[in-house]
Amino acid sequence: MTPVPSSKINPANWWKQNRKAILPPIFGIGGFLLFWQLSSSLGLTKLEGPLSLWTDERTRELLLYPFFDNGGLDKGLFLHTMSSLSRVAIGYSLAAVIGIGIGIAVGLNKGLNRAFDPLFQFLRMVAPLAWVPIALVMFQQNQPAAIFVIFITSIWPILINTAEGVRQIPQDYRNVALVLQMSNRRFFTKILIPSTLPYIFTGLRISIGLAWLAIIAAEIVMPGTPGIGYFIWDANQNGYVSEIVLGVIWIGAIGLILDRLMAWLQTRIASGR
Amino acid sequence: MTTLVTVQDVAKDFRLDGGGHYLALKGIDLDIRKGEFISLIGHSGCGKSTLLNMIAGLDLPSGGTVLLEGETIKRPGPDKMVVFQNYSLLPWLTVRENIALAVDEVMPDLSKAEREAVVEDHITMVGLAHAAHKPPLQLSGGMRQRVAIARALAIKPKLLLLDEPFGALDALTRGNLQEKLMQICNENELTAVMVTHDVDEAVLLSDRIVMLTNGPGSKIGGILEVDIPRPRQRLEVVHHPSYYSLRSEIIYFLNRQKRVKQWQAKPHKVLARHGLEKVNLDLGFIPLVASAPLAVAEAKGFFAKHGLDAVQLVRETSWRGITDGLLDRTLDAALMPSGMPTWITAGGHGGDPTPIVTALTLSRNGNGITLARRLAEKGVSSVADYRDYLLRTNREPHTMGIVHPASMHNLLLRYWLASNAINPDRDVHLQTLPPAQMLADLKDGSIDGYCVGEPWNVRADREGHGFPIAGDLEIWSGHPGKVLGAREDWAMAYPNTHIALTKALLEACRYCANPEHRDELSELLSDRRYLGMKAELIRFGMESATEEIREASGHTLFFGAGVNRPSRSEHLWIISQLARWSEIPFPRNYVEILERVCAVGVYSTAARELGLDDVSYQRGGIELFDGVPFNAEDPIGYLNQLSIHQDFSVAEIPIGVPRALAS
Repeated sequence: MTPVPSSKINPANWWKQNRKAILPPIFGIGGFLLFWQLSSSLGLTKLEGPLSLWTDERTRELLLYPFFDNGGLDKGLFLHTMSSLSRVAIGYSLAAVIGIGIGIAVGLNKGLNRAFDPLFQFLRMVAPLAWVPIALVMFQQNQPAAIFVIFITSIWPILINTAEGVRQIPQDYRNVALVLQMSNRRFFTKILIPSTLPYIFTGLRISIGLAWLAIIAAEIVMPGTPGIGYFIWDANQNGYVSEIVLGVIWIGAIGLILDRLMAWLQTRIASGR
Repeated sequence: MTTLVTVQDVAKDFRLDGGGHYLALKGIDLDIRKGEFISLIGHSGCGKSTLLNMIAGLDLPSGGTVLLEGETIKRPGPDKMVVFQNYSLLPWLTVRENIALAVDEVMPDLSKAEREAVVEDHITMVGLAHAAHKPPLQLSGGMRQRVAIARALAIKPKLLLLDEPFGALDALTRGNLQEKLMQICNENELTAVMVTHDVDEAVLLSDRIVMLTNGPGSKIGGILEVDIPRPRQRLEVVHHPSYYSLRSEIIYFLNRQKRVKQWQAKPHKVLARHGLEKVNLDLGFIPLVASAPLAVAEAKGFFAKHGLDAVQLVRETSWRGITDGLLDRTLDAALMPSGMPTWITAGGHGGDPTPIVTALTLSRNGNGITLARRLAEKGVSSVADYRDYLLRTNREPHTMGIVHPASMHNLLLRYWLASNAINPDRDVHLQTLPPAQMLADLKDGSIDGYCVGEPWNVRADREGHGFPIAGDLEIWSGHPGKVLGAREDWAMAYPNTHIALTKALLEACRYCANPEHRDELSELLSDRRYLGMKAELIRFGMESATEEIREASGHTLFFGAGVNRPSRSEHLWIISQLARWSEIPFPRNYVEILERVCAVGVYSTAARELGLDDVSYQRGGIELFDGVPFNAEDPIGYLNQLSIHQDFSVAEIPIGVPRALAS
């Protein structure tokens, strides 16, 4: 940590300290956009340049009014996002609770681990898209099926990391518990959970990215439900290329924000070890 | 004192992943008394941590039992708290929370306030009040270990178990923590068991030191009582007379373990060729001028000349190493003090009587008695002065150094003292010390003097720490010095090898005896393989004796009429002196022992084959400087007529019938 004088923050100093963190990404992203715009203007690709997001009236409208709601599926981007996020929230929370639970059980019990590890490794490899038809058959409805796809995609990193974390509890900590004759409940709360927390958070952070990937896949294949995936699907059906580009950028941005959010949580909760 | 922990015939067998077994410990018996501090010491992998874990209950023995106050230890518990090597603090808790976790867990009956008081007390005890709110990762290694000790002590264990507690700390921190731990243990009368591989730490902290042999199947190789009074100070214990002997005892033990391990790592096939039963010999020696014949036989190719083309000289640091090497058969034969063959044969080493044969006397003379320079400054210049000095200062301890109870140094020094009316057991204290240590002790004034071979008398004189008071030429000119010794079963299994070895060394003795070779010998012995010291310090006799004496009988005798032939009457004199000082009982069957120890036949064959005249010689009777003749016909009567002697006993020594080593 750099000590910051609390009374007044000198802007010149702040810039001095932080410019190395700020300037390179600006140049990197700016350079990429420029390259994209140029290749589009020079006709190297049919894909329109990033400027079209502003020049195209439809996307400009969408950018300016993210909150409009004309009923049905004709909504602003923010509202689409919110319904996607709420699905992610449900599926991801389920994955976290169940994944951590099973992970601890598997980590503590070698027999269970041997029994189920091959199954976990197998299911982990199945792509989110492949789950969609199965989910639809299982639940017969779009909403629960989409949530299931998110759940089944994002549970594996949580489960596997938690189990690994439990297995990695140093023998020293276990010995401390043994020598002090701790009860199982006390061992769980005083040693197992704190010791495993960094692993759990690693799993959670990987999973949030996967969950967000899965929602797009789910919504694209299950049209008729509001969401950012549907938005792209709809734009594709109508041939609005710049809308697709906008949707993609939007998805990326949300994913980035979610990841940063988890990283922040991770440092807040599981730091100091 | 009551016994707290009893370890009974404990064994530990680990099942390996590959399906095999590893027997870590075997036949461990140990009683730990209440209030005692025990150290377990040994090389890595000797199972000392395993033993600690079994006492802790973290591991269960695969044979035998461990009892705590008479109850079998079946699982770990707070009554036998462990301080782990890597501290085992929980990193997500602060110092205070770490200790509180243990206290809350173990003392649920106390009120919250009482528990908090216990925690604070122990934080203060280890001096960490200023860091109580910090997580362990912000602390140094030493501070973390103090937290671990505080945590262990806070729950008031009956037994404190420490697994290399200070291993990872720097020397300064380690020293401070050792003192802290000692103080805490004294104040709380704790019983503690500590695993360590630090010799000084073990001596400083322990009441007893348990030395474990190498695995597989490690056993207790020895238990040392540390008789240094408490409370001890780290900087003061080193001046206690026992400190260095304990220290060297442990270091000897550890080195011995290492040597056995190295020996076991090599293939040990008996190589027979050139008509000899065994040509690959390991010959033990310790770096002394008297080891010249061995060095010469190697360097000048006498071993190879007589067919022994795979001889290896094994440099030991003490005569004890030679004894142990012969007893556990890691050595084939060795250079040894002339008293050692009868001493081991009669069981003087404390084990079973083991017949040793000697076919060759390798050297005579070359020893001397040195007194400290500080005595000369107090007016001591003769033995009479020394006797007066002892009378004047009889309240102070007077220690003199000898190299081994069975060496001529011990016997000559005692004889010299006793004949001058100084009782070598009451008026002075004789202590076994390695020669190099003697010089250091002479320098710092903890011993009055010593009797030892060269180069240690010359060095003390040259370096100004001592002065020669009596040379062996004045006490017994021509006394046997070092001999060649081997086990009787070895000699019987390899008779031709024994003769070839005797021939090679006899020829080397002849080479050494030639005055023209003296400078070459000094040069050769100064090599790192042998003595490893400056050539000008390696002289073959009494440099500082009068010119007259030096000319008369000169230097160390390696060869000549009657020099090399093993003499029964000399060995009988040695037996009688060993018995006089209670090193061994006087053997009723001494005639049989002499017959078997002195391999005169081997010597005669060797000498004849070398074309040396063997028979013409006959040594005269034995008479030392005091003029009392030794009566070989009646050794017990001779002993009884001597005014100063210990209460010796007479006993039959069971040495069985001669038997060759089964190959």
